[in-house]
Amino acid sequence: MSSIMPTEVPRRSQLSRRHIELGAEFERSGYLLLVKDYGSQTEATQAQILGLVDLSTLPRTGFKGAGAPDWAATQALNLPQQPNTCTVQTDGSLVAKLSHQELLILSDLNGKSASIERLNNTPVDPQTYSLPRADSHCWLAITGSQAAEMFSKICAVDLRSHKFANGEIAQTSVAKANSIVIRNDQGSTHCFYILTDVSSAEFLWDCLLDAMVEYDGRPVGVAALRALV
Amino acid sequence: MKLLTCPLNGPRNISEFTYGGEYHPMPDPVHTDSRQWAEHVFFHDNAAGVVTEWWCHNASSFWFLAERNTISDEVIRTFEASEIFNQRIDFIAASTPEGSS
Repeated sequence: MSSIMPTEVPRRSQLSRRHIELGAEFERSGYLLLVKDYGSQTEATQAQILGLVDLSTLPRTGFKGAGAPDWAATQALNLPQQPNTCTVQTDGSLVAKLSHQELLILSDLNGKSASIERLNNTPVDPQTYSLPRADSHCWLAITGSQAAEMFSKICAVDLRSHKFANGEIAQTSVAKANSIVIRNDQGSTHCFYILTDVSSAEFLWDCLLDAMVEYDGRPVGVAALRALV
Repeated sequence: MKLLTCPLNGPRNISEFTYGGEYHPMPDPVHTDSRQWAEHVFFHDNAAGVVTEWWCHNASSFWFLAERNTISDEVIRTFEASEIFNQRIDFIAASTPEGSS
């Protein structure tokens, strides 16, 4: 049993029961609680083959509206040029441009993001609207050399590396759940973030694990994901 | 598999989309009576031939327009709504309350 349990912090992942069943060891940073590992010594290697990570408790935010492009341009961000692409910021945050008028900002893997803190405390223009994503979406990561192959079973968009470059985004159906798929490689390892409606979190988690079985995919903790960089 | 091309996301399975009804130009909000509003909001022409329709790509909540031939089910083109809706429309309340004349 983990030395700290999800019930001891004010905010926990919708998948916390799944993690407890799998024997997760949790790590706490402030009010954030993440799965550090599941007790296996080989998770770093597993993440290079096929791993599933729950990042749902990490900070994220968003903005949308006719004024969003002009407002974002004044916020000292390295903005993506095209919709459905993303850029990594100097503080490790990731800015995803979901349309001409919509941005999604994700923190780094340690839950730190100066960009998110700054943006959430900055007044927005009249035609720019805050679009919080922390409670509306779960955030999972699929890593490893088998990830794109596995996706071909549950997602109609071709995510193989020669078709779907690092930094590209696909907003599409994954296991019949509306999802945002972001390719954000960790070092030389392929990594896809999946953001899906939070009410589908357990459904999607189970679907992904089921699809991963034939490739020997397994859940891994965030420590294995950090070790890839 | 039937595909529809979203102007933002590209070709996608038709199951990723929701039909949003026919597109009609909105009547002048200041000089339109209740009957005209009702016809605009609720009544469709249901024409046989090329019509313009609203469609939504569910995964991105992106609304766009499509020109489709309702006889052959051929989609002629899809385009962003900003091609038509390119300026803000402010709704000004009618000076005379409805039903008081």
